[in-house]
Amino acid sequence: MSFLIRQISRTSDGREIIRAYPHDLREIIIGRDASCEIHLADLAVELRHARLTLQENGKLDVVALAGNGFEVDGSKTSQAIIDPAGGAELRFGSHLLVISVEDAVVVITAERIEVLSDSTQEKDEIGLFTLRALMPGRRQMAWALSIIILLALLVWPIQTFYNYQNAEKRPAGFHADSLWSSGSLSSSHAGLGMDCQSCHTEAFVAVPDSSCVACHDDVHDHADPKRLKLAKAPLNWDGKISRKIADGFNRPEGRCVECHTEHEGAGPMEETKQQFCSSCHTDMDKRLTDTKIANAGDFGTAHPQFKPEVITANGSPPKRERISLDQKPVEDSGLKFPHNIHLSNTNGVARMAGRMGKQFGFGQALDCKDCHVKTPDGVQFQPIDMEQSCAMCHSLGIEKIGDTVRTLRHGDPKMVVADIRAFYRAGGPYRVRTQQVMEGRKRPGDYARSQPYYAYFGSVNYSRADSAIRSVFSKGGACYDCHTVIAPPAGSDNWQVQKVYQTSRYMMKGWFDHAAHDTETCSSCHAAKQSGSASELLLPGIKTCRTCHGGEASNADVPSSCAMCHSFHADDGAPWVPKFDMTRKRDLSKTRIENDKARK
Amino acid sequence: MARQAAQSGRVRSDGTHEGFLRHENFRWLKIATIISLLAIVSYLLIDVQPRHNGGSWFGYTLGTIGVLIILWLSLIGIRKRKMSRGHWSLKAWTSAHVYLGLSLIVIGTLHTGFQLGWNVHTLAYVLMMIVILSGVWGISVYATLPKVMSANRDQTTEAQMLASLRSIDRQLHDAAQPLDQNHAELVRSSLDQDPFGGGIIRRMANRYPACKTRKAHDEILLIMGSQPGDKDDPLEKVGSLLGRKRAILARTRKHLQLKSMLEIWLYLHVPLTFALIAALVAHIVSVFFYW
Repeated sequence: MSFLIRQISRTSDGREIIRAYPHDLREIIIGRDASCEIHLADLAVELRHARLTLQENGKLDVVALAGNGFEVDGSKTSQAIIDPAGGAELRFGSHLLVISVEDAVVVITAERIEVLSDSTQEKDEIGLFTLRALMPGRRQMAWALSIIILLALLVWPIQTFYNYQNAEKRPAGFHADSLWSSGSLSSSHAGLGMDCQSCHTEAFVAVPDSSCVACHDDVHDHADPKRLKLAKAPLNWDGKISRKIADGFNRPEGRCVECHTEHEGAGPMEETKQQFCSSCHTDMDKRLTDTKIANAGDFGTAHPQFKPEVITANGSPPKRERISLDQKPVEDSGLKFPHNIHLSNTNGVARMAGRMGKQFGFGQALDCKDCHVKTPDGVQFQPIDMEQSCAMCHSLGIEKIGDTVRTLRHGDPKMVVADIRAFYRAGGPYRVRTQQVMEGRKRPGDYARSQPYYAYFGSVNYSRADSAIRSVFSKGGACYDCHTVIAPPAGSDNWQVQKVYQTSRYMMKGWFDHAAHDTETCSSCHAAKQSGSASELLLPGIKTCRTCHGGEASNADVPSSCAMCHSFHADDGAPWVPKFDMTRKRDLSKTRIENDKARK
Repeated sequence: MARQAAQSGRVRSDGTHEGFLRHENFRWLKIATIISLLAIVSYLLIDVQPRHNGGSWFGYTLGTIGVLIILWLSLIGIRKRKMSRGHWSLKAWTSAHVYLGLSLIVIGTLHTGFQLGWNVHTLAYVLMMIVILSGVWGISVYATLPKVMSANRDQTTEAQMLASLRSIDRQLHDAAQPLDQNHAELVRSSLDQDPFGGGIIRRMANRYPACKTRKAHDEILLIMGSQPGDKDDPLEKVGSLLGRKRAILARTRKHLQLKSMLEIWLYLHVPLTFALIAALVAHIVSVFFYW
């Protein structure tokens, strides 16, 4: 006997069954084929897999018969010489063959050490039918996600806050507390984006006014804080509740940010709503009994007539008073000027404008713009300048020397007197000279083509300087026609002209922007063509404004909240309002035509 | 969605069983609808300047209601482990959980004032919505999939599915013994492969492109097609066994797919609820921190 083959198999309950097959051969075959001496029912084993030869020296020669080799003590090979006495482990597919020697016989113990198939091995069957094996545990996921969120969105931002609490300015770049921002800052504050602490200075403390004032250092109170408090309408029940709650949560009343809300998205800051004003002003006289400010709630329905500030007494300085337009105030500007004559389409002024059109850019008659020039921002008009506007027609020339016209000095009566005296003192044939000066022309309209204008002295004897001086300052003379002249005492030359004050802004509590009214003509609001005196105030009343403007919630062409004209922190500048888009309403020209009709 | 699910919910004709969706004649559906309508109407009526947002008094009110509901809803994890009867039976509790959870869509969305961004506040909102939608998904699969599942199972149990697989594997192993090595290798690859292996996506999609059983079956069918039929050919037997194994695998895999769909929503619903609570903590602290 040379070989003893022991094949071990197991019953379903794990019991071992050992079958022994002796072979008196020097050569045996290992394979899946049933005819093999060592028959391995293993699909990984070839039908005839290997040959074992017992050599003369007692050693075993193992040779693979087909492509697939075998393993000897864990290493793969296709041929091996083994000393059975020393023992060895051969691996064929899922089977392990242990070689040993017992009583001079080579014993080969074969046993399947791997399961027959994947499904036959011991498995957690419940596990297969749930997702437990495929998904991370719910508890682990819950912990992991919660910790990540708390670290990234709570700990990190807080750490950022304390890191920069004493820093003057944060370095540029990302800062974790920006993850807390509830919305973009308005365009004017966009630069503060990553520096939360420029406003949120202390933890758990509502944004204080000091944060705003740090930059906006010229903002002043709307009124005396004590009066402001008095003026406020008493809170109704829900207001009281929310005030109590706000107090409980450390949100003091009256902070800047109550009106100027932030984090409302990029773009301009929100316009202040009418309600912020009307809550106090609608019936303020009930609470502030001594107030001079009339009640106002809604522009369309509850707004007093305008009270422009007009010059009631000329002087230096002039006396200015706010008078309601309903009282038809007159203004003493010191100037005489009939708008109707200058704007006529048919009279001499118009004819002259037509003739001079080429030189000065006039149309067939004078137009407002020929004298009134807007300020660069378009909001107001520049004061009328005599030399620029009036002198286009009303020259103060007294003498022509070569191509140059000598003029009297405007605005300086003493110099006028001196110049006239010098003119007469220069001697020569008075008649020729004076005729040229005194009779050159009377008024615009009597203009002779290609001739310069001259100052008109009235119909007097021009042979003497004294009478010429008196004439120019008296009725019919060049100065008197436009100005209020203060005559000197007898025997004195001290003629004086009352100073002219031109008002550039009448609405001192409100703001009117001419540029915003480019869609209108001048005459749709200012009845200048019908005005024969400069003392008439050509300001339109609230009725005119209301043809386009109504309250914030009205159906008017231009719904207008208080903030369109009024500023809470009023100063000399325009109130802050976001740009009004004229195209969002229907064509305003239609309204204008209706308005013009109504006025006629 | 909820209404649909309710209609197809399990209700026996004899009235002895009433699903949690229909509990007490939709009591919680009515309560949740009233809460939602109240929130919508007051949102429309209350004039918050300059526009609605979570930081107005109305926003804080909605936020407080929302967070209280969320915390109460999350208690179902504790509640479901303790049995009780009556008004606060688990069924009543679940019914309230579902409908109050749905009302959070309204309360939460109005609380945002439709102002969303890349920040902690919107994260909390998004997490809340995912949790709610995963719950809606869960209810809808509970209402529809069991029918599909039992049609697919055709009276076999899960244990029977696995037992028949084991049996077919053993038969394959025996039948393949006489095969030459190339063919034996095909069978062995089918036996060695874990036929349900792969990740969650493969299981939910029920797509197993590398299935060795299918490959072995196809190849053996191809070989047999080119040979004259022989009843005693072991290859013939192996081919038919592989065909049977393939059918068993298809049914079992379909079963696994349906079961995973029934289960997956909880893997979103539960962990994201905790993530949501964490995000809410960060959200609330941040609001008061930068007050």
